[in-house]
Order: sequence, then C-alpha cells, then structure tokens
Amino acid sequence: MSLASTASAKAPPSLLARLFARQELALLVCLILVLAFFSVTVENFFSVRNMTNVLGQASLALTAGIGCAIVFISGEVDISIGSLLATIALPLIIIMNDTNSLLLGVSGALLFGLIIGVVNGYLVAYAGINSLIVTLGTMFIMRGGVYLYTGQRAIPDDASLDSFIALSDGRLFNIIPYSAVIAIVLLAAFGYMMQHRPFGRQIYAVGGNQEVARLAGYDVRRVKFVCFIISALLATVAGIILAARVGSAQHTAGLNFEFQVVAATVLGGVSLAGGIGSLTGMALGVLILQFLSNGLRGLGLPTEWQLVITGMIIIAAVAFDEAKRRRANGG
Amino acid sequence: MSVDFLHPGEGAAIDTNASALEMRGIGKRFPGVVALDNVDFTLEPGKIHALMGENGAGKSTLIKIMAGVYGKDAGTVRMRGREVDIKSPRDSLKEGIKVVFQEIALISEFTVAENIFLEGYPTGRTGSIDWKKIRADSAALFNRIGFNVDPAARTGSLPVSQQQMVEIARALAHEARVVVMDEPTSSLTPNEVSLLFTVIRRLAALGIAVVYVSHKLDEVFEIADTVTVLRDGRHISTKPIGEHTNDTLIQDMIGRRIDNLFPRQRGAAGSKVALSVENLSTAKKLVDVSFEARAGEVLGFFGLMGAGRTELAKAIVGYDPIISGTVTVDGQRLAPHDTRTGVRLGIGLLTEDRKSEGLMGELPVYQNASLASLGAFARLGFVDKAKEHQAVQDYVDRFRIKTPSLFQQIKNLSGGNQQKVLISRWLMRGLKVIVVDEPTRGIDVGAKSEIFALIDRLAGEGLAVVMMTSEMPELLGLADRIAVMCEGRLTAIMPREEATQEKILNAAIG
Repeated sequence: MSLASTASAKAPPSLLARLFARQELALLVCLILVLAFFSVTVENFFSVRNMTNVLGQASLALTAGIGCAIVFISGEVDISIGSLLATIALPLIIIMNDTNSLLLGVSGALLFGLIIGVVNGYLVAYAGINSLIVTLGTMFIMRGGVYLYTGQRAIPDDASLDSFIALSDGRLFNIIPYSAVIAIVLLAAFGYMMQHRPFGRQIYAVGGNQEVARLAGYDVRRVKFVCFIISALLATVAGIILAARVGSAQHTAGLNFEFQVVAATVLGGVSLAGGIGSLTGMALGVLILQFLSNGLRGLGLPTEWQLVITGMIIIAAVAFDEAKRRRANGG
Repeated sequence: MSVDFLHPGEGAAIDTNASALEMRGIGKRFPGVVALDNVDFTLEPGKIHALMGENGAGKSTLIKIMAGVYGKDAGTVRMRGREVDIKSPRDSLKEGIKVVFQEIALISEFTVAENIFLEGYPTGRTGSIDWKKIRADSAALFNRIGFNVDPAARTGSLPVSQQQMVEIARALAHEARVVVMDEPTSSLTPNEVSLLFTVIRRLAALGIAVVYVSHKLDEVFEIADTVTVLRDGRHISTKPIGEHTNDTLIQDMIGRRIDNLFPRQRGAAGSKVALSVENLSTAKKLVDVSFEARAGEVLGFFGLMGAGRTELAKAIVGYDPIISGTVTVDGQRLAPHDTRTGVRLGIGLLTEDRKSEGLMGELPVYQNASLASLGAFARLGFVDKAKEHQAVQDYVDRFRIKTPSLFQQIKNLSGGNQQKVLISRWLMRGLKVIVVDEPTRGIDVGAKSEIFALIDRLAGEGLAVVMMTSEMPELLGLADRIAVMCEGRLTAIMPREEATQEKILNAAIG
C-alpha cells in the first residue's frame, strides 16, 4: 500500500475508530438480539410506550455512565456516584422548598457535586491516593452523612414546581422523556469531546500510558482531576432526575447504583485499565442491561434471577473481549 | 514561536551564531549520589554529537534534564544564546527539544498519525481537532523522510523499529531544534540501523542538532561528528570523532584500559551432555531444532532480529509451549513442558527483558535473589530469613554485587549488578543448564566484561551455558561452539575455531 493512496483516501476513520466501531457493532448486534428475543416472547415489549419508558429508566445510568466511562478511560475508577445521588438531593430539595426556585435548587446541587468532584479529584490526582480507595471512602462518608442528616426519613419535595416534576414525567413531543433527552444531549456533547477535542484525546492518552502523556507535555494530574469533576457533575444531574422521579430526598437513593453503572460501562467495552473504550459503547452497554432487565421482568422472572443473569453476561462479555484482544496481539 | 529549519535566523530575535543548546555547569544530586557535577555540554546546529559513558556516568540524567523530566540543581541552559528555564517536559518541548527515549513513548492504542501530533493537536477555528490535517500532514512527513508506514495503522501493531521512526517523525512535526536519541539501535536489525542513520543524517542536514547516546563504539564512529564522554557524573572530554580511536574512547569512558574484554579462565568443556534438544518445533517460530550442549561449555546462538533466538530460549526452559520434539536436561526429559519441571530438572532462563520478566523492581535485592530457591530455606513452610540472607550475602560477596545492602530495592541497582543478582537467583537453585538471552543488553562496557567473566566462571564450574546474542564480538569472544539461526531454523553449528564473521553472517541470512 503506497503512502499516497492512504493519504488521499476520503476522510477514513482512524483504525482506532474502526476497531471500536467493530466493538460497538458487536454490542449493537447484541442489543438488537435482546430486543428481538423479547419482542417475540413478551407482549407489548416492542411498543413505543415500553421502549420510551425503558429509555427514561436508562437515562440515569446513561448520564452518570458518561462520567464513569471518562474516569475509566483516564485509568481510574469512581464508585462514589451512587452515594452522590442521595447527597445532592438534600441541597436540591431543601433549597427548592425554601426558595421555590428550580434554578437555585439545581445550582445548589451542582455546587455540592462540584465540591465532591474536587475532593475526589484532589485526593486521587494530587494526593496520589488510589482512586478505588478514595471513592470507596467518599461513598461511605456521603451515605453515612445522608443517614445522619435525614435521620433515615425522606425529605419530601414540598415546592412541587411544575418544571421540576416535568423532569420525571414530562416528554418531548409527548414521546421521549425529558430525562432521556438530557442524557442523549450530554452523550452527544461528551462523545464529541472525547473524540474530537484535544482534552478528550488527552484523557485517552493519560489512560493509555501516563508516562508517555507526561513526556508529551500533558499535565496528567490536571487531566485526572478534571475527569473526577466531570464524573461528579454528571452524577449530580442523574441525582436531580432521580429526586424529581421519587419526589423527595431519600437516604436510600442510588443504593448500588454505582455498580449498575460500572457493570454497564464494562459491558460496553470500556477497559478498567484505561485508554480503551468509548461513550457509545458505554451507552449500548446501559441499554442492553436495561432492556434485558425490562424483558426478563416481562417474562415474569424474579429480580434475583435478573441479578444472576446480569452477572454472567458481564463476565462473558469481558472474557470475550479479552480473548479477542489476545488473538489480535498474538497474531 | 515556529522556526523554519531551512532559513534559520528569520523571525525571532535570536543570535544565529549561537549554539543550538548550551548547558553550563550542570549539577544534579539525588539522595546520597552526585549524579552530575559541573557538566558542560554544547550542541551545534546540524551536527551529530555522541554522548557516551558507562551506566551511572550521568548520560541519562543529563538528557532527562534536557527533557524536563528532572530539574537541575545548578547551572544554566541556553538555547541559541537565550537562557531558558526548563521545568517540565512541556517546557522542553516548547523550546524545541525532543528526546526519543529507549522506551517507546507512544500511546499504543492510538493511530500512528495521532501519535505524531500527540504533543499538540492541530485544531480548527472552534478548537476541535483537525483530523484531516493530521492525516495529511503525517503522510507528507513520512514521504519526506522516506518512511513507509500507514498513518492510520494502530501504533501498537507496529514493530519497535517502526515505532521508533514514528517518534523521530514526531520530532520533525513539532519542528524540534534539538533531537536526542537514547540508545536508538538497541532493538534494531542491521538494515533498520542503516535506515535510522540515513534519517539521522537527514535531520542534521535540516540544521537540527542531534544527540546520539550509545554504548556501541562502531556506531558512534560511523555517525557522530563530535563525542562527549561523561564518567561518574563529570565531563571527561569533548572531541571531534577524528581525534578518537577505539582505545582512547574506551579509556575516557572507564578511566582505565580494558586489555582483555573476554578473559578466559575456564578449561576445555567436558563431554557430558547436559542439555539435549531434539526436533523442537513451536507454533510461533521454531522449526525442527536439534542440538546438544555439554557441561562446562558455552554454546552461543547467533541470529538476526526475528531469527527465533528468544523463542528458542523460552521454549527450552519450558516457558513457551512446544508442538513437537523433546528437551532433555541431564538425562531427564522435560515433561510436562513447563518452567516448574524445568527448574526442578535444573534449567533456567536469564531473560533478555530484565525489567518485565526478570526483576521484581520494588522488592529488595535479597528477595529477588532467593525467589527460585525459597523451598531450600523453608522450615515447616516458613522461610528461615537468617539462612536466606546468608545465602544471598554469599553471592553478593562472590560476584561483587554493588549494593548498599541486601534490602535495597533492586530497581536502584545498575544494569550489570541487576544481572548478577538474577544470575545468583539461578545459581542458588543449583542449575545444570543456564540459558542467557542477550546477557549484556543495556549494560555498559566496564560491567560487560564482568558479566563475561561471570559467564566464563559458570561454565568453568560445570554448567552448560546456552547464550543467545546478537553481538558478534560477544559470540566470538565467549562461545566454545557457535550455532546460527535463521527464521526459526538452525542453519549452522560450528566450533569457535572454525567460525568467522563471514561464515556466521552467511548462515544467519540463510
């Protein structure tokens, strides 16, 4: 193959993009198989109503999953997001109850999320503590704090602002839930950032090989720091939607949510080792698990079995990935 | 600030007569060590300047200061007469200094083109990456330096030699004024080396100042205009290459003469067969390889890159699976074919890749040495520490391993001393056959002769030594018999007395 021919080819996607395209294609095929299977076996599964409902349910994991995937790609993990969902609901609901202003409530929640992101990011990137440990710690601290503050009672949303309630049951054109619209817009924006903005590529480079990134002149610590802030802010957005859905701030909100998100992200081909994966893959992972859970429920399978099946699927998917990678490298 | 190589001096206010890079009085200390002491180093544009010295001489500290990896404790750095303050890799790149380290500094998951522009993506008006420009520019760049690689290829899928070229291309893309190459030929074939030299000369012709760090004297004589030698962190000499001979260069580097790099102490090899390999084939590389190695002999294997030396080394110790053939150690067949059996029968591998397959870098010297023989120090399943330390101390004394203590992390030792610890690991286990793969890779001249003496001694003590090497002098100086490989096959095996460089190379080409 001559150099000239490769250079003049019409905007070919990079090999990386093609490689991931293939991985995403495989995930897409899985999703279609899941949809096809349940369309045949479960009544009303393949209806606009059910599809958009599932999309709405998936929007929490989709939104927080963006942050989770970005932190993974940078070579770290963030498991504090579940507790964060419960934590930021407190300032959100309290401020709204006091001021009757959605804007102020949301600002308060985002400010809280920002602070948590800064703490996580600082401890990992600048203090050099392992991210699993840091976010495990903040996960416990936040959950404990919420228990203490609420005395294990829900704080109801007394303001009942229309705009806030719309976040839970409003639909664009009466079809697509607003929460899903928010998730899709964020996915598109951050997906674009990861592939086409220098900062996004820096995250891949840092996760791919930290030393190389440093030698290439990147501020590795700053990149990681910012990734944790992004993750916390996106989890905050998910937390706001959840609070709207349940109409209160609850101490049990988002319990085990971080593991659902991690599971979907890993299923979507984002490597825990960093540098590998895409937001599209993560999104497909979320949708596969969400539709699977919805379909299994439709079949009347108890939740316990859903957990077992989800676990098996994740291990199988990662094992498949690993085998593929080994074959590619061994050849 | 962008600089046009072909018309230096246009644009910014700079002194065109000044040196490309001038380092004066550079000092650097690490806890307990003075790594650099008042070192001067000056680079002229368009010249190739070799930087030589033994490991620990301060070469890598000096280039890491250039690269902004380390800060300096004393001295000044000027670029074209202007004093600069390099505090980070970013500062260094901004000044136009590009260091190509021995370890490839590329993101293997990225495409070649993206790696070229890793240090600064070209962006459009909105700040988004201009991928079209990245692809076009890297293709154009490759054309210019005559480098035939698909810019869209995944970097990790390329051989090391091509990855190195990608790094050099990257230096050009960012209009480097100073390009530093750290031991660039250590994993290249002769053909690739000559391509590399062509590229280096082209860089110099563009007015770039090239620093060439190497241990290999013949390469330095071929490529360099000027040579600077460091020793023990001090500047020893800077001379045009024409004023040096092999001897004067070695003398500058080690401060004494090495009269005989290959001191042979051992007697003739015995007749007892210690290792017998018959019709060995592997899925990856080896085809029907048969040979014997006798107790007390050094059997040297030569081959070009990709000939299958490392594969053979890994197969005969049981590390890599085989598809047919047998390996017999001291009369006992290596079956099942794994390293556990191998070690039990008494065959061990001194790997070519110390860092990833030999050392446990964070662990202390003594644990690295005793790894293979913990069973021997165990009492009721617990390791008897006193016994373990004593045994390791014996080897440290015997092989004169330079380490502050048994508890020093092994990553802090020099390459030569690390190698001695790894040899101790196997001797402690009581081996009959030791397979050494590129035993002197990354080890400097002075320590090399110590490793050679050690190998000589191992054979003298009755071990069969199977040595894989790509260094002709090492092969001719050390081996009793010479085996040559080409594309996974054994193409010749001859006694040392009958071997000539020509004969060996012919067999290696196949």
